[in-house]
Amino acid sequence: MNLVKQTIDGIYNLLLGLGVTVKHLFKKAITVQYPKERWEMPERSRGVIVLLSDKETGKLNCTACMLCARACPVAAIKIEREKNPETKKFEPTSFDIDTTVCCYCGLCEQACNFSAIKLTGKYEFSVYDKDRLQYDMDFLQEIGRDVKYEKKKKVAKKAVKKAAQKKKEDKAGEEEKSQEKSATKPSAKADAAAEDEKPADSEQKEESKTEDKTGDDKNEPDSSEESESKKE
Amino acid sequence: MLELDPIFDAISEWLASFLPPVVVTIVKGFGTAGVVLGVLSLFVLFFIWMERKVSAHMQQRLGPMRTGWHGALQTVADAVKLIQKEDLVPSDADRAVYFWAPVVCFAAALMAYLVIPFGEGLIVQDLNIGILYVIAITTFTVVSLLMAGWGSNNKWALLGGMRSAAQIVSYEVPLSMSLIGTIMIAESLSMITIVESQSGPFWNWFVFRQPIGFIVYFIAATAEANRTPFDIPEAEQELVAGFNVEYSGMKFAMFFLAEFINMFTISALAVTLFFGGWMAPFPFLDFIPSWIWFLAKAFTSVFVLMWFRWTYPRIRVDQLMGFAWKFLLPLAFLNIILTGIGIYIF
Repeated sequence: MNLVKQTIDGIYNLLLGLGVTVKHLFKKAITVQYPKERWEMPERSRGVIVLLSDKETGKLNCTACMLCARACPVAAIKIEREKNPETKKFEPTSFDIDTTVCCYCGLCEQACNFSAIKLTGKYEFSVYDKDRLQYDMDFLQEIGRDVKYEKKKKVAKKAVKKAAQKKKEDKAGEEEKSQEKSATKPSAKADAAAEDEKPADSEQKEESKTEDKTGDDKNEPDSSEESESKKE
Repeated sequence: MLELDPIFDAISEWLASFLPPVVVTIVKGFGTAGVVLGVLSLFVLFFIWMERKVSAHMQQRLGPMRTGWHGALQTVADAVKLIQKEDLVPSDADRAVYFWAPVVCFAAALMAYLVIPFGEGLIVQDLNIGILYVIAITTFTVVSLLMAGWGSNNKWALLGGMRSAAQIVSYEVPLSMSLIGTIMIAESLSMITIVESQSGPFWNWFVFRQPIGFIVYFIAATAEANRTPFDIPEAEQELVAGFNVEYSGMKFAMFFLAEFINMFTISALAVTLFFGGWMAPFPFLDFIPSWIWFLAKAFTSVFVLMWFRWTYPRIRVDQLMGFAWKFLLPLAFLNIILTGIGIYIF
């Protein structure tokens, strides 16, 4: 009897297997026919690095502040700069990225406050000669021409605001007032800017502040004053 | 309609009008062999492409797409590549055995087509011992595989050859036994008589009178052709490629061709013996030529073999042997007994 049961069981499972394969036979193949078709890369994919330029003037967004060069963990970015005598601002005279050492971590993009450098979804940059992997400023600008991007300034402000808020929460009630003042004052400015733009954000902000109040009111005279002044 | 038999008759009559009878016989022999070989080569080209596409789509890939329409010419390109390849012989090989192994393999695979009826009257020679002949001639494959394994002087190849010998000898027994039921009902060994005794609507086919026989036959035949799940002679993961590991170029191609021809032989035999051969499923569908029915059934059977291959994993050597001797053979004997009782009663 056991043998019969096993046989029937086995046949059932074999048919089950055939069912699975025939089901897959009629599914759509997931193959991408590479040179004819290409993946649509996600917006935040970290492919080749480009330098972004202003859509209207066509000039680089880069202000040669060197933040990206400092952020780079493998020191792949080399920037030389010069002060423009008319505008009295720095401009990059050369901007070289050594992509042979670049690890595509994206820290340069995070560090940049002016939306000047970006990791894009482009990936077809194989070359026969190793020297051609040393990208210079013109090349980086050229491959960045058609990259869509948003100016980063809002994001930067938000980041400042958040950092300040965090500091404030951490220090609340435990440290001296003078230190607290220095931490909260810039955040107040940022709050004001953020409230104009995004009411949803400000609501969150208020919630966090009420929490602060209920927590320990006496130790925090500055922050309560600020919230009152804002309501006015 | 498009019946092929009158065409061949007309050609032989036309030849007889100006050639002596001996020459006509010789020309007819070579001509038929050429036609069978040509048709089979076309089928094999198609099967290789089909195997690729079926396997690809079962894995949700596309398979060959660039050469020709959906990669239809991929096999042709491969054949051209194989012809160009250097014909290597291992330095320690037994040259004569090494050379003749693919020839024997290919010839054995091809000779089965002497008695397979492709359609009404489309048979090279209707032997009165047709089934016996097919079973006997297809077993030559094992000789060729052993030759290939021994001649290569390579341990993988020899292991593959030994495995295939053990496997085919084991599965030959239930295979032959499973066909005896069919022969008992048809009361003949001739292919034509067997097909004709299945005439009428499709429930007259022997698969409905011999279900156990058909199942045993199909499993044993899959093992005979070294197809998955019984492909231990050429298990890539264990034996690199088995008996054909040292072969290159056209010699390898001949093994490859023989494998696919064997696959078609199995399917053609299954159709002839169990699915009514060239008969239409219903008598009113007779207006479609008989060879189209035969090919449609055989190609479906080939597809099922491919379906097996891309679904089931390979079984172990001891499981394989145990399955043949402990399960299939008793089942085949049971089938013979049941058939005998059935014939005695009805």
